[in-house]
Amino acid sequence: MIGYICKYAPVEIFEAMGVEMHRIEPEVSNFNQADMRMHPNVCSFAKGVLEEVLAGDYEGVILTTCCDSIRRLYDVLKAQLPDRFIYMLDTPRITKDAGICLYESRIRKMIGEYEEFSGRHLDEEKFFALLKARKAEQEKRENAQGKEGSGLSVGIAGARANQNIRRILEERGVKVAFDLTCTGLDRKLLVEEDQVITGYVRGLLSQFPCMRMEEAAGRDQLIAEYADSADGIIYHTVQFCDNYAYEYAWLKGMLKRPMLLLETDYTRQSYGQILTRIEAFLESLGKGRKKGKISTGGKETMYVMGIDSGSTSTNAVIMDTNREIKAFAVVRTGAKSGQSAEKVLEMVLEQAKLKREDLARIVSTGYGRVSIPFADENVTEISCHGKGAHYFNPRVRTILDIGGQDSKAIHLNEKGEVTDFVMNDKCAAGTGRFLEMIARSLEIGIDELGPAALKSTEEIEITSMCSVFAESEVISLIAQNKEKTDIANGVCRSIANKSYSLMKRVGLEPEYMMTGGVAKNPGVVRAVEEKIGGRLYICPEPEIVGAAGAAIYALEGME
Amino acid sequence: MFLVDKYINYVNQEVKKEPEKGWNWMVRGFQANKLKTRLLPNSGISKGYQKLESMMMSLVADSLGHEGSYVWGNIFAPEEIFQCFDRRTLSIECLSCYFSGYHLEDYFIDCAQNAGLAPTLCSYHKTFVGAVESGALKAPSYAVTTSLSCDGNLNTFRYLEKKIGAPFTFLDVPYDCDPESVDYLAKQLREMTGQLEKVFGRPFDEERLRRIIAIENETRRELLRFYELEKEHEYPGEIISQLYLMMGTHLLMGTEEFRDLVKFMVEDIQTYPRFTGKRILWVHLLPFYQETLRAYFNGSRKYQVIASDIVLDYAEELDESDPFRALAVKTIRNIYNGSYAGKAEALGAFAQAMEADAVIHFCHWGCKQASGGSILLKEKMKELGIPMLILDGDGIDRRNSHDGQIKTRLEAFLEILDEEDGNAVGAAVSAKKEEA
Ligand code: SF4
Ligand code: SF4
Ligand code: SF4
Repeated sequence: MIGYICKYAPVEIFEAMGVEMHRIEPEVSNFNQADMRMHPNVCSFAKGVLEEVLAGDYEGVILTTCCDSIRRLYDVLKAQLPDRFIYMLDTPRITKDAGICLYESRIRKMIGEYEEFSGRHLDEEKFFALLKARKAEQEKRENAQGKEGSGLSVGIAGARANQNIRRILEERGVKVAFDLTCTGLDRKLLVEEDQVITGYVRGLLSQFPCMRMEEAAGRDQLIAEYADSADGIIYHTVQFCDNYAYEYAWLKGMLKRPMLLLETDYTRQSYGQILTRIEAFLESLGKGRKKGKISTGGKETMYVMGIDSGSTSTNAVIMDTNREIKAFAVVRTGAKSGQSAEKVLEMVLEQAKLKREDLARIVSTGYGRVSIPFADENVTEISCHGKGAHYFNPRVRTILDIGGQDSKAIHLNEKGEVTDFVMNDKCAAGTGRFLEMIARSLEIGIDELGPAALKSTEEIEITSMCSVFAESEVISLIAQNKEKTDIANGVCRSIANKSYSLMKRVGLEPEYMMTGGVAKNPGVVRAVEEKIGGRLYICPEPEIVGAAGAAIYALEGME
Repeated sequence: MFLVDKYINYVNQEVKKEPEKGWNWMVRGFQANKLKTRLLPNSGISKGYQKLESMMMSLVADSLGHEGSYVWGNIFAPEEIFQCFDRRTLSIECLSCYFSGYHLEDYFIDCAQNAGLAPTLCSYHKTFVGAVESGALKAPSYAVTTSLSCDGNLNTFRYLEKKIGAPFTFLDVPYDCDPESVDYLAKQLREMTGQLEKVFGRPFDEERLRRIIAIENETRRELLRFYELEKEHEYPGEIISQLYLMMGTHLLMGTEEFRDLVKFMVEDIQTYPRFTGKRILWVHLLPFYQETLRAYFNGSRKYQVIASDIVLDYAEELDESDPFRALAVKTIRNIYNGSYAGKAEALGAFAQAMEADAVIHFCHWGCKQASGGSILLKEKMKELGIPMLILDGDGIDRRNSHDGQIKTRLEAFLEILDEEDGNAVGAAVSAKKEEA
């Protein structure tokens, strides 16, 4: 078996030689080998391929000169596996005749080297027959493809798409309108009897150009045309791949359809993050929601509950049909989010003087939303925060939510619908966890940090963007005998900088609201207000905004 | 000094408020600095490096001061061809460094990231794109880039073409080096020249290109002589001197002024005493602002950065009789092109030829091509018995460099080097104190 990764790889040639070809789609739990043998900052896909190939049983791997990360992947694989057929196929970026001619000769050279390596032989007639058969299959498939279905359709563009994206969409009955990533399109087979290989190579190079191709200059127009056939677009990038972000930056200003920027890293653990973003995106596109059962427990007034299972706190809100909050509760999330959910349920019922049967419908949200057994439905925290914010203050257009483990910015339209959002849940900087780390270093309580910052007299800049570095920067500031108040304020400002760039990415339209536990920290609030040059609306219990939103979803689910 | 800081601060604020005006102040500042480097050269370093600094300051100040006198390029662009049209090539990597003279890199980088560019992208590219996004930097009449040595090139230039209409030529540098590849690139160079005739409205003079290449060959020979002499003599510089030298060998190669400077350096170094300290071969970029590195290397007579791969990335003679193929060969055979095994081999041979005591590889944040190969290089150096240190940081954005980490690693490494000599441990630390 030979592995490959690129749509420009001449897969069919190897198949005609009787080789089993396998497209490498890594899903790994760590990058131990890659971090040791390459560098942590290399593209996660390339790192994943390294892990996969070192662990797997490949006869060889065909790589193309795709990008810097793949070039280094080749170097490391070659050094690690000198006896295998690790081949770097130089793929021209120019797809005009000069490129085709060069690519053909490169491919012929590769065939020669593989023949020598394996003792196999390429029979051009066999190859021609295989191409013809493939082409026929392809045409049949295209004809069989059904016409427009009903329901939502989403297109995928950007860097090679993690297969989970497609799966998540399909599982939710969403049609994938197009997939323009490295791996998505059906390859273009040109079958020319008199010049089999030349024709084949021309076909390879005339596929939808990826970003490394000179021709990619016209991609934006093509994508715009495709975009018309979908309700929304998921623009996918890979962690530490910078090539596609350029296109995203450009498309963002030109496409009319809603677009979700989704970054993945080819680890198993990232599935939850991918899921939340895609679900929130589908919710914002208005995917039809199922209506639920109604059980008023025989009482006149009907109650619903929203429960927000976050990483640091689990919050619940009970609401009546008039959208009045009847009761709420907040508990710290323990090691098992299910237990905290039970606990908060008990507390909030007690507060409201109600019983479990009085709740007609329960909607869960937050990262633990799927593990709450008593919920009737789950909605992402993005949509719930949007709903909740609009409930507390309908003039709000930009929400900044800073929780314990993540932070996010959400843009709402005047109807309170989510039109854009960005999330940071991958790094601690800019989150509540970071504040806790710093408070510990400063030896003050987390609740004292904000008030301390307000007393600051000297401006201190915390420059490091990574929380680990920032923490040691703080430690050296302490060693320099800087005032705790000034350091605390420096930290608040560093969080404000991070928050500002999140908010900026969704448009920074006033009015602004801040939610989540960190909204109770006056130091951060002041720093963010200074940075955005505007006031932040903060409701009395900023931690329950998501749960309140979930409760409204529950009400809407019954209307 | 106070006045300079004030000016820098003023320009910094002005660019953020009114980018267009701010830009004019930036250019004026470069021009003032050019005078300063002439009248009041940096006294801690050797004459040649002083002149070099001043020459590069002039290149930037004079070019930016005359719109239309320059094109944007990347560091591997064939500037020789542009010389034939009397245009200077200003590489975006270098311009970004100059912008950071006004401490604007973080602001520009944030502008680029807010526009949607990846935070993990190389900071040279982010700074440059950010300068455009901020409204400070305007499009030149033309630009040129190569696929060497990183992905950012095509992407950045394409993005800027769309954004502000900066037309450019893209040169696809093949990975392999065979005659077909040379033809492929030579043909692109020829086509570009035809295009430039139209853009600049004047004919191309191939004879002139030959003369430029002849001077280039001469310069390279002189540079190799300089390296030879560096084995004997000390020649104090700063870490930024290597960057200036890189600008010379990439943006002014083939000019008489740069050749004469290298010749001067060859003469000048012979007046310096014998060098007995540690000779470091530096691989990849040098974070010129970084406190610890400055403290250890700038003006040091104990640890000297004797050469860097970014200065001499191609060491052969060019064939003047066939200038386009010669330039194509130069680009394809560049050590930044092709497999890393080839590069490691070349750097190993270079380190041995230079009698380097140690190698330091700097992994610049966002540079996949360099970072991704660092371990392979370390293995190669281990084979050759040359100690090598890998440092992580950022060549321009201070926020991605962590001084504490760099300091610990560097000091430990220098201690090991000194110990090899039988010197007492801690010599490194005391050396630092002497210089401080
Ligand atoms: S980006 Fe292009 S060259 Fe790279 S793997 Fe995808 S299709 Fe191949
Ligand atoms: S995701 Fe980006 S960096 Fe990674 S292999 Fe593809 S093009 Fe290269
Ligand atoms: S540092 Fe690396 S990524 Fe940045 S411009 Fe240089 S080669 Fe490219």
